[in-house]
Amino acid sequence: MNSTVASEYSSEIHTTPIEHRFNPYSDNGGTVLGIAGKDFAVLAGDTRQVEGYSINSRYEQKIFNVGDDIVMTANGFAADGSALIDRFRNQLKWYKFDHNNKKLSVASSARYIRHLLYSKRFFPYYVSTLIAGLDDEGKGCVYSFDPVGSYEREQCRAGGAAASLIMPFLDNQVNFKNQYQPGSDGTEKKPLRYLELDEVLELVKDAFSSATERHIQVGDGLEIFIVTKEGVRTEYYPLKRD
Amino acid sequence: MDVVLGIRLKDCTLIATSKSVTRGISVLKEDDDKTRILNEHNLIAFTGEAGDTVQFAEYIQANIQLYSMRENDIELSPKATASFVRNQLATSLRTRKPYQVNVLIGGFDTKTGKPTLNYIDYIGTQAILPYAAHGYAAFYCMSLLDKHYRPEMELNDGLKLLEMSIKELQTRMPMDFKGVIVKVIDKEGIRKIDV
Amino acid sequence: MNTIASQFNNNNRNHVHHEINESNGGYGGVDKLELTPTMTLPPISQPTDFLRAHTDDATNPDCKIKIAHGTTTLAFRYKKGIVIAVDSRASQGNWTASQTVHKVIRINPMLLGTMAGGAADCQYWETWLGTQCRLHELREKERISVAAASKILSNLIYEYKGMGLSMGTMICGFTKKEGPTVYYVDSDGTRLKGDLFCVGSGQTFAYGVLDSEYKWDLTEEEALYLGKRSILAAAHRDAYSGGTVNLYHITEEGWTYHGNYDVGDLFWEVKSQEKSFNNVDG
Repeated sequence: MNSTVASEYSSEIHTTPIEHRFNPYSDNGGTVLGIAGKDFAVLAGDTRQVEGYSINSRYEQKIFNVGDDIVMTANGFAADGSALIDRFRNQLKWYKFDHNNKKLSVASSARYIRHLLYSKRFFPYYVSTLIAGLDDEGKGCVYSFDPVGSYEREQCRAGGAAASLIMPFLDNQVNFKNQYQPGSDGTEKKPLRYLELDEVLELVKDAFSSATERHIQVGDGLEIFIVTKEGVRTEYYPLKRD
Repeated sequence: MDVVLGIRLKDCTLIATSKSVTRGISVLKEDDDKTRILNEHNLIAFTGEAGDTVQFAEYIQANIQLYSMRENDIELSPKATASFVRNQLATSLRTRKPYQVNVLIGGFDTKTGKPTLNYIDYIGTQAILPYAAHGYAAFYCMSLLDKHYRPEMELNDGLKLLEMSIKELQTRMPMDFKGVIVKVIDKEGIRKIDV
Repeated sequence: MNTIASQFNNNNRNHVHHEINESNGGYGGVDKLELTPTMTLPPISQPTDFLRAHTDDATNPDCKIKIAHGTTTLAFRYKKGIVIAVDSRASQGNWTASQTVHKVIRINPMLLGTMAGGAADCQYWETWLGTQCRLHELREKERISVAAASKILSNLIYEYKGMGLSMGTMICGFTKKEGPTVYYVDSDGTRLKGDLFCVGSGQTFAYGVLDSEYKWDLTEEEALYLGKRSILAAAHRDAYSGGTVNLYHITEEGWTYHGNYDVGDLFWEVKSQEKSFNNVDG
């Protein structure tokens, strides 16, 4: 029922909205993961971007160095992801202009990202967000966010399409969940320890090559951002392209 | 929102059922007994769709008694009774109009000298449990029984445990279920206990 | 003091900042919610229907944005103060999104809030409540009462009624004039003062244990154990609750943290010590 008010042709006014369903969301697949170490943190993600069953790109960057040695990713709906990261990067720039180039801590970044996400509580960004960097004591840290801004500091977190494949692996290999001392008959837990960077990189590569095998939206390439006190550097490894 | 609770003790099983019958916003009866005696050592307690419940329980009752008559007064064991009930519900589920009845069967096995409690729901899930409840009552009572239940409890301890559970339901459930009828099944048979 | 307060007001941002926010088409044009940040709404006639279609997994299981749900939290008052105990699981449908959520929000050194329902809603508005409480202290030169703090929160929530906020929270604190105080505040706008509350999908299981052992004259040790034990009961029976138990205690000195207990370990410890959980072998 698209009724109009009888009037001059040029000023006809529609009295009912034309749209039937407003769906501004899409899912661009991909998966990301962050692990914090003793004096470093990594954020890794695959580089494939999909829409439905089509692959848009085999290399589309989704992890960014946003400045102040903080790396950030927002996985899910790519447009919302870039919008969020652009907004954060922009605000960080203004923060530095206004405050004599002061360094923004990762904890403060996390709090600010919560406000960015929650300001769209009633029209959310469809993304799972991760940031990584070094905290005030120089220890590695990862913060994870839900789409509307609840957040938590964690030792590790997987987000995106294959999160359900990777997260249990990380629980077991990073936090040693369900691992016990050999010979203790399941009574003594394997003690926690910080992983070394080379161990973490091996875990990340295993996680992504396995996720590539079992998830259609994951593959093509793996890009790893590594934050240490020396700064941010990246590594790239090819993944299967099928 | 009927309450049906069962607790297996050291040498008897307790069954408690709420006394109210409600339809819509009215209480129609406040001294209802939601149990039927199947044979000397087996009691069925039931909740579910109005009409189905009593029809089903009395159908089971009749068949269990028929068995004893045919088989020269042999009493069906609690395990066999429960299997029979489960089978009836599972068969009914695959018909056009299944019985929507959930039951507890309190029994005493005269061969082994052990009390039993069987939980069966309308889809045919059967479990032998130390304590069980159907409906909303389970949400309040299971955690309470997880904490306070001990397998070696005597009748008196069991009644105290039951009293505790009923008190919790009376404080937290939105509806007045008009108290409970309590029955014991032990080697002497089935009897009602005044609470 | 109003100069401090005005810094937190939306009107007072520098114009570059203002221009950036304007371009984002904020909802904040109407200064209805004093001291609250701007909110973007979808440009359609029924924003609430839009939100429900995309975030409410109860009415639409295929919705893309799943908001974390499922919890057991409790708080009770007794002779020595207040005990607060919570689980730490966040579920999105059948997926356990996290086992390490902090469901007690430290509003300030005297006030604690609990979190059930939408994780972001509780986290956001309870930290916001912290700033409001601080502003009250600066303005009135006096610590805010638990009654007033909880009312600030419930009034805020009530302004958003029908918009889809989901919170069930207990605001707990100790003040000179009120003593130990617990208020239950939820997203319907309900605000109740009481001695004992359990909130979340596992509330009934927690009530079951808590009611059976609760009395006013508990010792501190007994009270803390009862809180922990009630959450354990809920974690055992409610699939949407679990992970670990976080324990807090409040006295006139403020709150103290009483540790984090993994349900996996706690269960066997309690079972063997209490000789309870007789439905489980081992």
